[in-house]
Order: sequence, then structure tokens, then C-alpha cells
Amino acid sequence: MIGEIIINAFLVTLMLTIAIFIINTRKVISTILLTGTYSLVAALMFVSLDAVDVAFTEASVGAGISTILFLAALSYLPREEKEEKFNVKHIYAICTCTIIAGLLIWASYDLPLVGQLENPVHQNLAQDFIEGSRNHIGIPNVVTSILASYRGYDTFGETVVIYTAGIAVLVLLYDGVSKTSKIYKGKNK
Amino acid sequence: MDNLILKVCTKVLFTPIILFGLYVQFHGDFGPGGGFQAGVIVAAAFILYAMVFSVEDCKVIMPPKLNFFLLALGAFIYGFVGIIGLILGDPYLSYDVLGSTKEAGQHIGILLVEFGVGLTVCNVMISLFYSFANFNFGKRNND
Repeated sequence: MIGEIIINAFLVTLMLTIAIFIINTRKVISTILLTGTYSLVAALMFVSLDAVDVAFTEASVGAGISTILFLAALSYLPREEKEEKFNVKHIYAICTCTIIAGLLIWASYDLPLVGQLENPVHQNLAQDFIEGSRNHIGIPNVVTSILASYRGYDTFGETVVIYTAGIAVLVLLYDGVSKTSKIYKGKNK
Repeated sequence: MDNLILKVCTKVLFTPIILFGLYVQFHGDFGPGGGFQAGVIVAAAFILYAMVFSVEDCKVIMPPKLNFFLLALGAFIYGFVGIIGLILGDPYLSYDVLGSTKEAGQHIGILLVEFGVGLTVCNVMISLFYSFANFNFGKRNND
């Protein structure tokens, strides 16, 4: 119990430190790398919450591929962020952030404790999913059986969203096809 | 990039990374993992290759046409598995009728569906990298 508290406190402190560094740095490349590090620490946080599948996704997508894609997109961007002097906009931003953070912290007092059996999330469908995954589907990993079978529609939606996003980026940025494809050449003739 | 150590390391690591991706893909029923993670890991292998050698070299082992075809094929596999169930007289995306028993049907359905997800995610990531990198080189040539 004490060990868990120490680990969580360490991870939260680390995330806060990285966040402060992200705000302070002006170089875009350090921001990208620090964001990747932040994702990696977030993945450790998910491991300490026993959500291994989410941690795996966070580590591979958040820390891995998005860092690489940001680096690849770096050539579009200026190397450094512009220095801006303190003005009225910042005061509005500070007020908004303080109010929203205050509301969120206030609302967090109503949240149930993590990992309690009587929490609302464990009362309704979770029981059926855990038993059904063993008896009906026969797969030890409950996450996979929920993702692919019980909530197959949602995952199909996610796949189509990724597909659509990929196609949209290709339409906007990819100029390699039109030069090499036979259809384009045929039209030119 | 002209670094011998990086090139040799990439050549050595390329296959194990893809093998690990396949392990995550098809072992998702029994441990952490699944289509999303596996797709990203396999895409990372290709992107590593493109970064260390060049994007043109990577286009030889993964041609853009094949990439776009597989990108669409993944989403198609997912939707088609659902339609097979529909034809055999079950609700859409219910895998019970795909195998001899209900459990076998669920296993086959989940495996196919995860494969579709992995294929789409992997190829979307590779094509994103291609499109960023392509633009990049065009700009440098103009300078």
C-alpha cells in the first residue's frame, strides 16, 4: 500500500516536472521529445493502475509513433516558438485555467475511490462481461473480448475513423501517386 | 543518413520488430495487445527503415500502391466478417456462426477482426509517414 503511494507520487511528480519543462521550453524539437516522455510516464501510470492494454497502446502510439510523426512534420514548422510579452490575453488564460482546474478538483471529491468493489462501473455490465468472456467466448483477456466481440460496432467505427483520417491526410499531402500512376499519365497523353 | 552502425542495427532489428508485432497481433486473445498496438509496432519497423536508409528504399519493400490497397483491405475485412455473419443468419458482427461451435466461431471472428484493425492501423501510419516525408524532400530540393 505504502509502496503504491510512493510509486504514484513519484510518477505524478515526474509528469508535473515534464509538463513544466514543456511550458518553459521554446524549441519545438524539445517540446516534441518531452511530450513523448510524458506519454511514457503516463503509460507507467496505467501499468500501476493494472490497465496493461491501455499502457501498451499509450507506449506504442503516444510515446512511439506520434513522436515520430511529429518529428516528420517538424520541417513544416519554425524551429522555435516566438517569444511573447505578458499581456491581457495571458490574464484571461490564467483566469480560465484557474477556474476550470478549481471546478475539476472540486468535482473530483465526488469520485469514488479507485478499485472499490461497490463502484458504479463494477455493478452493471462488468460482471456479465467477465463471466461471458470465460463461458461464452473462451478468451482469457477480457479487454479483447469486449473490444472485438461485445463492442464490435465501436471498434469497427474506430477502424473506419482511422481509415478516413489516413485517406484525408493522403488527399491533402501525398503528391507521389499522381506523378507515377498510369491513369494520370494516360490523361496527360 | 550515412551511418554504418545504424544501418547494420536496422537490418538486424527489422525482422524481430515485425515478429514481435505479429506476436502482439495474434496473442492479443491471451495477453495484452491486439490489432491497434500490433499495427503500430509493424509500422514502426518500416518507419525505422525509411529513416535510416531513405524513403525511396522503403518504397521498394512497401510500395505505396500496395500500402493503399492494404489500408483499405483492413477496414474491408472487418466489415466483411460482419456481413458473413449476416448472410449465415445472425446479427451483424456476431461471430457465433463462423465456427463449428460458438466458442470456435468467436475465436475465428475475433482473430479476423483484429487482423483487419492491425492492417489498417499499420498502413495508415506508414502512409502518413510517406506523405510527410515526401513533402519534406520536395521542399528541400527547391531550396
